[in-house]
Amino acid sequence: MTEEEMIVCRCEEVSYEELLQTATKYNCSPRELKLRTRAGMGYCGGRTCRGMVDTVASTIKAQERTQISLKYQPPIRPITFGDLGRQDK
Amino acid sequence: MNDVIIVGAGPAGLSAGITCAKKGLGVLIIDEYMKPGGRLLGQLYEEPNGSWWNGIQESTSLYEHAVDLGIQFQLNTPVNNIEKLDQSWVIYTDKHTFNTDHLLLATGAAESPVPVPGWTLPGVMSVGAAQVMTNVHRVKPGERGVIIGVNVLSAAIAMELQLAGIDVACLTLPKLNKITKNAAQPKDVLESLLHVSHMAPSPLIRFGSKLMKNDFMKKMGVTFYPKEGVKMWDIPIQLRKAVINIYGDGEVEGITSATIDANGEVVSGSEENIACDFVCIAGGLYPLTELAAVAGCPFYLIDELGGYVPLHNERMETTLDGLYVAGNITGIEGAKVAIAQGVTAGLSIAENAGISGLDVDIQHSIQSIELTRDKAYIQFHPEVKKGKRILKEQWKEYERSVKKLVH
Ligand SMILES: Cc1cc2nc3c(=O)[nH]c(=O)nc-3n(C[C@H](O)[C@H](O)[C@H](O)COP(=O)(O)OP(=O)(O)OC[C@H]3O[C@@H](n4cnc5c(N)ncnc54)[C@H](O)[C@@H]3O)c2cc1C
Repeated sequence: MTEEEMIVCRCEEVSYEELLQTATKYNCSPRELKLRTRAGMGYCGGRTCRGMVDTVASTIKAQERTQISLKYQPPIRPITFGDLGRQDK
Repeated sequence: MNDVIIVGAGPAGLSAGITCAKKGLGVLIIDEYMKPGGRLLGQLYEEPNGSWWNGIQESTSLYEHAVDLGIQFQLNTPVNNIEKLDQSWVIYTDKHTFNTDHLLLATGAAESPVPVPGWTLPGVMSVGAAQVMTNVHRVKPGERGVIIGVNVLSAAIAMELQLAGIDVACLTLPKLNKITKNAAQPKDVLESLLHVSHMAPSPLIRFGSKLMKNDFMKKMGVTFYPKEGVKMWDIPIQLRKAVINIYGDGEVEGITSATIDANGEVVSGSEENIACDFVCIAGGLYPLTELAAVAGCPFYLIDELGGYVPLHNERMETTLDGLYVAGNITGIEGAKVAIAQGVTAGLSIAENAGISGLDVDIQHSIQSIELTRDKAYIQFHPEVKKGKRILKEQWKEYERSVKKLVH
């Protein structure tokens, strides 16, 4: 396997090359890079590739110090629809 | 309603719980893992005085102490969200919702991966996963492994794998690319290794740390660094080779490694294959702060602490009322520091819950964190104290900005 084909986001199968090209072409922030490629938007919630997406985007613009660059959204762990919708008595 | 709820049954959470319970508070500890102990469970190493730090024993004694004090546990229970409603904290899990006025986040650290072509093959795992399989579950991850990424954690775990009778073919670097960066630069890696040279019985590394004080010498050190590596516990540490591919038909069968120059660039034609049946990836650790983030804590990115940390003061209070942090969520350090931080968090909680006369104890516990840090055997970042100073400044900065808003 070549470095270009190397997968960075496993859930959405986004390659190293796709991330680099997208970041360069659109001057992406981490969030824009994520939204354009779907890297970090799969089942694991970005637990594996979040840092790598940040790092690729930081080649365009240095990471923000005072704010986490890729926002966390609840639920932060996978949860079934049944449990999510259940009413606690 | 519990007086105190703690997310994370690692050393920080357990020691905070014990401290609160001793002061008479009712404590519930929630953890998503099936066993209490957190990352302490996997730890096993010999200390400079010749005694062994056995994480399973340490965890068991903390846990038993906690149970004796009447602390309740909810294991196998991931917390997926927290929020403040009507002055108290609501903690959401799959099946139940819990409430408390005092919530401690002791969620520890997570591992960063480094991408290597072929790393999605079965048989590739994080170095922490290999540690848990071997030391906690007593299952060999394989017969012969290669560790990609040379740092304190991967060196410590390599030694643990070897103790378990697993052959570690080598510790080596990932190939340089836009993601691996410093972790693939022989000079940077060598520099970080010099800080842990006391862990290495190898005279060469010890000798090296005295010699290579300036950049030029470091470069020389890398240039003349033996191609086959320097041995630490008989395991070759290769800083002049990088893994360019992990190969195998449906599972790991080996890696392709190449010689790299002092700047991390591959020397073409130097590729060779090394057979192995598992590969560990060691990209370092970062504070696991998801819950602090969804709660709305302000953050600051401090590389010396491993990444973004929620702003907090010496008493382990965050900027949000009733929300505390302790352990690796505040920066990557060893388990003993996490235990000391847990004590401080527990005392702060007790005081805020109305128990008086704890001021002196709290001050002592803060000093004890410092002392533990100074004596730490494992230091994940050589500049951790600088990181803590940056954090302190950011906390003050935050306080000033809040005062301005009020007046
Ligand atoms: C892979 C790995 C290996 C390490 N090896 C060493 C070593 O050899 N030596 C050393 O000194 N230090 C090591 N460390 C550093 C280690 O983090 C500290 O030593 C120490 O364990 C930190 O204690 P803690 O209580 O802050 O966190 P941890 O021990 O990590 O405990 C945190 C607990 O919180 C739980 N948790 C997290 N999020 C949630 C959630 N949303 N819901 C429910 N539960 C949650 C986790 O399951 C875990 O049990 C290692 C860390 C890692 C990640």
